[in-house]
Amino acid sequence: MIQLFHVHKQYAGETPALADVSLDIEKGEFVFLTGPSGAGKSTLLKLVLCAEPITSGQLLIFGRNVARIRETSIPVIRRNMGFVFQDFKLLAQRTVLENVGFPLEVRAFSPREVRKRSLAVLEQVGLAGKAAKFPLSLSGGEQQRVAVARALVADPPVLLADEPTGNLDPEMTLEVMDLLAAAHRRGTTVIIATHDRSLLERYRQRVVVLEAGQVVFDGQLGPRTVAR
Amino acid sequence: MYRVLYFFRRAVDAMRRTPFVTLVATATIFVAVFLTGLFAGALQSAERLLAVWGGDVQVSVYLEEGADLDQAVAAAGRLAPGAAIEAVTPHEALARLAASLGDERKLLAGVGEAALPASVEVHAPGIGVEQAEQLAARLRAVPGVADVDFGNAWLERLERFLKRLRQVGAALVGALSVAAAVLVANTLRLGVYARRDEIEIMKLVGATNVFVELPFLIEGLLQGLIGAGLATTSLLVLYAALAPRLHAAAPMVAHLTRADVLPLSLLAGLWGGGAALGLVASAVAVRRFLRRMG
Repeated sequence: MIQLFHVHKQYAGETPALADVSLDIEKGEFVFLTGPSGAGKSTLLKLVLCAEPITSGQLLIFGRNVARIRETSIPVIRRNMGFVFQDFKLLAQRTVLENVGFPLEVRAFSPREVRKRSLAVLEQVGLAGKAAKFPLSLSGGEQQRVAVARALVADPPVLLADEPTGNLDPEMTLEVMDLLAAAHRRGTTVIIATHDRSLLERYRQRVVVLEAGQVVFDGQLGPRTVAR
Repeated sequence: MYRVLYFFRRAVDAMRRTPFVTLVATATIFVAVFLTGLFAGALQSAERLLAVWGGDVQVSVYLEEGADLDQAVAAAGRLAPGAAIEAVTPHEALARLAASLGDERKLLAGVGEAALPASVEVHAPGIGVEQAEQLAARLRAVPGVADVDFGNAWLERLERFLKRLRQVGAALVGALSVAAAVLVANTLRLGVYARRDEIEIMKLVGATNVFVELPFLIEGLLQGLIGAGLATTSLLVLYAALAPRLHAAAPMVAHLTRADVLPLSLLAGLWGGGAALGLVASAVAVRRFLRRMG
């Protein structure tokens, strides 16, 4: 579903953010990207989201070579992805319901359908009662659940999350992670960038460790590896 | 239809959410259109006045001593068909001069009738300056002609001035439009920048550039329509307020009507131009932003 072949990414005047990264993420997988700050986790997600061009190598998403697609095809790729960011990226002047329905508006759903689906997904994340509230009146955990609802509302085959629990306390962290795990159980491919090792231990999924822009580990972590 | 309404609603929502930017953009368009309209209205009035004054053209054909006045009148009638021809004998010319001198007529004591030449006066109402020049040239063929005086020669100077004014006016209106477009585009960039988070999120959830741009274009168009609409209304109000005073102070402009100063074609042009200004400026602003976003 997502394949990287010898991908390099370098920002002007800086050391390489990614160097010779090759990965193959299958449909329905749950993958943690981890590593220290500046290891390249966020950069990798940005490349998959087509928010940044790769410097060299090949990146295939849904079988399409990103380096060769037209700019007008990028929205089509993004419509097959949901995303969750550490800073939530919610629109403060729109209600929770409007924030969640945003991806459906972009896909030209009717207002009725937008409302119906948005309320259904808010129900799933336990926020149906807060549909008319504005994001800033919610707690951090609730805001992130709104972001997860927005990522899931269009039922995308891929969900990307960049430090989705970075701003949350342990209890909220588990709530949000359980929502992502539930999406995975329904068949969504989930890729999460995190530096929270407790999550790797708790969820026991495939882990890709990045250091200085290179993959230094790719597999299931054993008890000793986690403790390292 | 639903999509059109959707984008329209989003544009109106955005204007409501950023009232300051909307106000500044609309005011900028208002000022640009108002100034352009003021200048164009003044130019229209000047042209109209020239046309009216030009209608009073009188050409005097002075004859040599001993020339046959009747023959000259007949010739002038042939050369200027439809014009009012008047024969002025040396005696009448002296009487007119004396009348025009009033109390100073005693200066003419001792001046004989032969001092002034006989002349033929040709009045051609309703002709322009250019036609008057042509008429004066034709009248040089009158038998016994000594000189042809284009009595309203100052109109030539006025027309030259007006021609220059028109050129300068066109350049000024052009420069004003470009300056207004740059100013409005910069103001609208503020609006785009104020909604950069929304644009970023829209792009991330798969919005096309057209989807992002359309509400901004509608917003620019609405601001242009409102700003230019207010400007044209203000011009009409200004005319209504100033016209009676101007007419009282300067009777020569009394026959200038609203249609002469601010014709409907000008008002429609200003309104349409303002709307186009808003549309183009917002297209430039949002496209530059999207290009920078990549």
